[in-house]
Amino acid sequence: MLAQQLLNGVALGFTYVLIAIGLTMIYGVLKLLHFAHGVIYAVGVFAAMIGILYLNMNFIVACLFAMIIAAICGVAVERFAYRPLRNVHPITTLISGVGIAIFLESLFQVVFSSDPRAFPDTGMKVSVWKISESISITNVKLTIIVVGLVALVLLYAFLRWTKMGIAIQATAQDMRAASLMGVNVNRVVAITFMIGSAFAAIAGVLVAYDINSIYPTMGSVPGLKAFCVVVLGGLGSIPGTIIGGLILGIVESLSEGYLNGMIIDKDAIAFVILIIILLVKPSGLFGRKVEKV
Amino acid sequence: MDSFINPYYIDIIVFLFIYIILGLGLNLITGYAGQVSLGHAAFYGIGAYTSAILTVKFGVNTWLAIFLAIVITFILSAILGLPSLRVSEDFLAITTLGLGLIIQSIFKNAEITGGAYGLDMIPAPSLFGLEIIDLSYLGLVLVMLLLAIFIMKRMTQSRIGRAWMTIHEDETVAQSMGINTTYYKVLAFAIGGAFAGAAGALFAHKVSYISADSFGFTLSATILSMVVLGGLGKIRGTILGVSLLYLLPELFRVFDIQLFDMKYLDLYKMMLYGMIMVLVMRYRPKGIFGNTSLKKRKKNRSSAKKKELRDGEIIA
Repeated sequence: MLAQQLLNGVALGFTYVLIAIGLTMIYGVLKLLHFAHGVIYAVGVFAAMIGILYLNMNFIVACLFAMIIAAICGVAVERFAYRPLRNVHPITTLISGVGIAIFLESLFQVVFSSDPRAFPDTGMKVSVWKISESISITNVKLTIIVVGLVALVLLYAFLRWTKMGIAIQATAQDMRAASLMGVNVNRVVAITFMIGSAFAAIAGVLVAYDINSIYPTMGSVPGLKAFCVVVLGGLGSIPGTIIGGLILGIVESLSEGYLNGMIIDKDAIAFVILIIILLVKPSGLFGRKVEKV
Repeated sequence: MDSFINPYYIDIIVFLFIYIILGLGLNLITGYAGQVSLGHAAFYGIGAYTSAILTVKFGVNTWLAIFLAIVITFILSAILGLPSLRVSEDFLAITTLGLGLIIQSIFKNAEITGGAYGLDMIPAPSLFGLEIIDLSYLGLVLVMLLLAIFIMKRMTQSRIGRAWMTIHEDETVAQSMGINTTYYKVLAFAIGGAFAGAAGALFAHKVSYISADSFGFTLSATILSMVVLGGLGKIRGTILGVSLLYLLPELFRVFDIQLFDMKYLDLYKMMLYGMIMVLVMRYRPKGIFGNTSLKKRKKNRSSAKKKELRDGEIIA
């Protein structure tokens, strides 16, 4: 039972990691809490749905399609809502982000109606793998874990060995110095948004496929939980985000299995963690030492 | 008298006034003291639930219940404002958002709040045996609104208001000038929360049925966009911002304008609110009634030009 819950928690955790990676990279580069990230997640899900239903794509092509559309949307949001406000008070940018998130989410509800619908038929069958007597995992959950690992390895390679990846790291350390060294900061920001949005999109598609349900507001709660993951792991720290995401996934999964009749919803646990971390150790698990955020 | 006026119009005005009180509270926290709150609906909910629980479950007199709701929201808001001492700016926004979601989730799951079903049969207040509904309720809300505006005006023009503004501008400076920032920050949350609590209690006794769904993030964001449109740190800004954004969608309903599918009116409303938040932040971050009003800006520009000319003369 415990091992089963842990395994489910890891799968859930990887979806949080995939969503939160974008947030933490964006925070690292721009020192910005990207509020509309959850909407990008929903954009990915709907792009995949349209791809499968109307463009006759198979599941893998639809995933790539979703990532591309989400990346474009992410860059568009940055251009429209964040870039004109760079270097102003963080509150101004935050309110702008909240605004664009509300706008896009309502737009989605108008276009796609707010009723949930099932994930379109992909021709793939859900099968259950028995690892031992009491532990089993569906192939969808296994896919989530594998995709998460592959994405993280690719991200590591990108940041470590490509010129753009190093430019992103340099910008995260000091934007001004990086731009003086000839780094095109606007391009770095755009690439960061693209990567983050694509990761959120793939997470969204896999979650939607796993729970077999699509609705326009599906991104808002994961988007907010991703903030908790980012804060828990330490702001701007990618390893911290990975550990933080897995912790949150496991905690939620265990609470589902063992705690019943709680006074707060399962979804609210993340925010309890968030508040405790911000009050007790604002630097998170792996963040740079900060007294106060 | 009641029969002359369509009660529906009265309801609109009553809810408008309640929203203005709510907006004033948020403006106090966010506009004056500079502590961003994305969980304002939680304070509103605490006020509504306190008053409702006291009257429905404990049979407390309605007037006393409203008063107690304000007091309890004041105390709870002070406690919920404590994170603002450790966390600032955008992280405070996330924290308050989280607090709002946690509190909403408590409303939904606790037994005393009626769980997911909510509370109904909340009695209307009565005075000398007369039940206060419709037009007289409008009177009650108006009195509360005027009281709120009066309190807010007096407070912001006093020592407290100046302390808040200094904290807003620069916390370190405020501290070095001997302002007890801890006290004033918590006080801002407490009083802003109490305003929201009053609005919530008035809302509960007006609609007579409340459930956790009425106090979600959508409401917090709506109120924030209204306050932002009017301009942070301006009383008339809040009044005009809330009125404009609240009445605009209602106009479509009242006059039955069939421009689009009425089913989606609420969604179009949210789209408008979201877009306004983005555009106002981009083009007029201080709001329509912010410090840089058009008149003043023109004046500044012309005086700057004059100065430029003068400097030019000297150089020449």
